[in-house]
Amino acid sequence: MKLIRYILLALGIIFVAIQFIRSERNINEQPSPTDIAKAFTVPDSVKVILKNACYDCHSNNTVYPWYSHVQPIGWFLTKHITQGKDELNFSEFGSYSTRKQLSKLEEIEDVINDDIMPLPSYKLMHKAAQLTNDEKALIINWIQLSKESLTENY
Amino acid sequence: MKNIILGFAIATTTLAFCNGNKSAENQNLSNRTQSISQTDNANLTISSVKDAKNTVSVKEIVSAYLQMKNAFTEDNSTGAASAGKKLGTAFKNFDKSALTEALKKTYEDVEADAIEHAEHIGANGGNIEHQREHFELLSKDIYDLVKAFGGGQVLYKDFCPMYNNGKGAFWLSETKEIQNPYFGKEMLNCGTITEELK
Repeated sequence: MKLIRYILLALGIIFVAIQFIRSERNINEQPSPTDIAKAFTVPDSVKVILKNACYDCHSNNTVYPWYSHVQPIGWFLTKHITQGKDELNFSEFGSYSTRKQLSKLEEIEDVINDDIMPLPSYKLMHKAAQLTNDEKALIINWIQLSKESLTENY
Repeated sequence: MKNIILGFAIATTTLAFCNGNKSAENQNLSNRTQSISQTDNANLTISSVKDAKNTVSVKEIVSAYLQMKNAFTEDNSTGAASAGKKLGTAFKNFDKSALTEALKKTYEDVEADAIEHAEHIGANGGNIEHQREHFELLSKDIYDLVKAFGGGQVLYKDFCPMYNNGKGAFWLSETKEIQNPYFGKEMLNCGTITEELK
């Protein structure tokens, strides 16, 4: 019985202790010169969807939920964001080579069509990221146009 | 007793914390090594520009790609994944030092994109449809690479008009016989040769 109390106490101490270990936040005030909106024409309707469904993990600005302040959830989110930005970063899209831009656009199309992205766990917590068919169609259509604009000058 | 548990608690937290830092450090280190070897390469290029095209071979890359292609024709997702890992390594091992500036640029352009696809295919064993989507993009990279460097063997560019909801996709093959990597057993013989690369 005593042992259980010690273990609980220890867990409590660990929990409190890790709250002080906070990871750096993915928030940048300055507008990025290589943002996708500068390299491509992005209509407002598409911009809103990208912002609500993609930017938290695929841009230099995350809108953090309150529970991101609770560790280890915060660490978990940070890991996701780092990986997400590594794969695709809309804030730096303009710095990609034409080949990579084409390839990324193609991938976006695939993951939207196949419902791989946004991630199920993300959609669970973000209602706006649960894309309707119309929203998906908007994105796909915009991707097509962007790809064409790229291949014309390639 | 209490002390032991407390000590353990502190130890685990510090450990977890240090681990995080360590990987960042490692990355820094590998970035540094990379930049060092890049400067080395730049120096070497000047001296060996002349016979660049003869000495350079993308053979290992092409063979890993073909291995992947053949795994896809057999609907073998794990086989494709291991070929993906091999292909990623082949790209990294490729010696750019003897390349002319122009070829080096082409190579690096292709490399940056292709490595990502190769690694994705490597990491997605079990999800063959997603792997194939990356394979389509990868095939374009490898085609451009072979166009610039030669494949070291005769290769055929095959086209299947049905993949991707009728948009079609191509791949490279070492055999004249059509073996479709996008559909596998479902439609193994769908496709035509559109180009012969020597």
